[in-house]
Amino acid sequence: MEKRGIYQRYLNRFGWACVAPSMIFFSLFMLYPILSSLYYVTRKWKGMANTFIGLGNFARMAQDKVFQDALGHNFIFMVIQVPLMILLALLLATFLNQGIRRFRGPVRLAIFLPAVTSLVVVSVLFRVLLQSNGLLNNVLLNARLIASPIGWLNDAFWAKVTIILAMTWRWTGYNMVFFLVGLQSIDPEIYEAAEVDGARKFRQFFAITLPLLVPVILFSAVTSTSGTMQLFDEPNILTWQGGPANATMTAALYIYRQAFFVNADFGYATAMSYVVVIISGIFAMVQMRLLGERRAK
Amino acid sequence: MKKALVIALALALVAALAVTTVTSCAQKPKPSKVTVWCWDPNFNVYSMKQAAAVYNKAHPEVTVEIVDMAQDIEAKIISGLQAGGAGLPDIALFQDFRIEQFLHDYPNAFVDLKAAGVDYTKFAAYKVGPMTVGDKIYGIPFDTGSTGLWLRTDYIKAAGLNPDDYIGKNLTWSDVIKLGVAVKAKTGKPLLSYQSDNFDMLRIVVQSTGGQFFNADGSLNLRSDAFKKSLALFKELNDKGLLYSVVGWSDWINAINSDKTAGFLNAIWMVGSVKSRPENAGKYMIIPTPLIEGVPGASNASNNGGSSWYVFSASKNKAVAVDFLKSVWATTTPDTLEFYNTILKGAGAMGTYLPSQSGSNYTANDEFFYKSQAVYKDFAGWMANVPVLKYTPNYVPMRDAVAHATLNFFQGKLKTVDDTIAAAEAEYKQVMGQ
Repeated sequence: MEKRGIYQRYLNRFGWACVAPSMIFFSLFMLYPILSSLYYVTRKWKGMANTFIGLGNFARMAQDKVFQDALGHNFIFMVIQVPLMILLALLLATFLNQGIRRFRGPVRLAIFLPAVTSLVVVSVLFRVLLQSNGLLNNVLLNARLIASPIGWLNDAFWAKVTIILAMTWRWTGYNMVFFLVGLQSIDPEIYEAAEVDGARKFRQFFAITLPLLVPVILFSAVTSTSGTMQLFDEPNILTWQGGPANATMTAALYIYRQAFFVNADFGYATAMSYVVVIISGIFAMVQMRLLGERRAK
Repeated sequence: MKKALVIALALALVAALAVTTVTSCAQKPKPSKVTVWCWDPNFNVYSMKQAAAVYNKAHPEVTVEIVDMAQDIEAKIISGLQAGGAGLPDIALFQDFRIEQFLHDYPNAFVDLKAAGVDYTKFAAYKVGPMTVGDKIYGIPFDTGSTGLWLRTDYIKAAGLNPDDYIGKNLTWSDVIKLGVAVKAKTGKPLLSYQSDNFDMLRIVVQSTGGQFFNADGSLNLRSDAFKKSLALFKELNDKGLLYSVVGWSDWINAINSDKTAGFLNAIWMVGSVKSRPENAGKYMIIPTPLIEGVPGASNASNNGGSSWYVFSASKNKAVAVDFLKSVWATTTPDTLEFYNTILKGAGAMGTYLPSQSGSNYTANDEFFYKSQAVYKDFAGWMANVPVLKYTPNYVPMRDAVAHATLNFFQGKLKTVDDTIAAAEAEYKQVMGQ
């Protein structure tokens, strides 16, 4: 009895020792920043000086049209890009899983590569392609698809299209991999049974593949949504600091600019981050509700 | 008990270190390293390398490490300053229009170089202004941003005009519009390329009128006659098809070096970028910044950009860093004069250390330009007439707000000059939380 107690205590201690490093790092780099952000959020910062303003940062946000527009842009990107990308990823995954036999590896690599390539590196190439007299416009003009060059980077509407295209280019392959794994984990016997019952491929896709992939779609939708809420690289580099004239400014980019570029106002930046986190949380909850319920049926 | 022991040990260690430092100092200069952060390998990095070479002649024990921070140098410096100086270099380069923000936000972050004995009467006064707070002066002024109108003589000739009619002339903007329309009609080239994300060009013109963007108390003032006239001028240039807009620095250099326009309006530091393409040889001439009519106090000179060197208080090698900057950049010896002369020729970097401006390269003809124009002599001459601009700590948000509103004005989303100014003011207030 006593011996067992000592052993138990040893196990306990050993267990704590094992998790201690990660606990320390978690406290230092996650817990402490989260707790200290509660202090930051109530203050107006300017360089080293800061003053207590209570909920003033949130009042300021209510007045700040730049921030509100930025959130609106996040929302537009999310509503259009996330479904577009998931659909595309699903189609590609199905195609790769069944459609082709040869070169499966190279094709998979080609589709996945954008996700692991730094946007900073490819942006140079992208900008050459997208300039008003760039390759893309020249091709479209020569094919007589458009009458005058499109302002991919200069026009408020087309710059948003550029961002959506760039995001889709970058993340479709990444999400496709999840779908591919999902597809491969579906038992082929289910399809055989369906075939015996006389279900066509089309029917099979909607009656078997899609419902069984719901957990993967959910995962993909939630991560993509939170990714879109944190969208930073594309508007910062591709359309250059949220340009033209803030037309592609996103919440994350504006937060960064308030903290590190314009005002050094870490209080306001923290307060805005809170809003973004809460909104992302709500979106994730809604998605889980919607897709989760269907799964239960 | 344990704590006391640790403290005692630590103290002993520090003491031991201090003793060794003192003794080694007495014998021989200790090897040390000074780290410098800047950007642009062909300009600032190049110039700093030349300076390090000069310093190493007398101080071979000092290694100057120059880091080319291509992106986000200010963001990295802000992170360092917030962390109490952790991870910062000893010396960094700051844009003149950015430094007031830093001096204001981080009052004790920089070393007072006036106290360190730098003689500021030997530098161009307009460079010293932004780095002065009360009776403290924090930086070593580096390059000038004296501006001119860069024109492609081959396109002017192609339009049936004679470039010699323009060279060295103080033009007005209406002359320039006439020239631009003629060139556009014959060659199809717009007159001026520019970056729509910062609209440097607009601010160059406002400064040439002696106009300010801020009142003496630091509040925003975009309602001056000079600003309104400048905005209207660029709308006219835009509507006549004389402007070619690009987004971002590299696209702009690209546009210039792929013959997209017949010229641009910008500063002397473009020499390096223009010279980087051999095909540009003999094609460019640079004439004084055109004058905007009907604004009293306007001149044919302006300034854009330019930056200066600063030492961080958190630097562990403060004394060496200060001595390096002071003895190369702010002292008159044959070596330092030759240094300034070298970087002018090598990078088009025109320092603002007045004793250096008698160097042979300052007056030399430059065969790279049309009819071997003595461009440095011209830029230096215009520099003397540049109206002083008050940047204030809030220059960047003002610049961005003005650039955004102007782009919307050009694209027709804002209809009048007054609407444009109101939109810029509104964005500035929102971003500043006023």
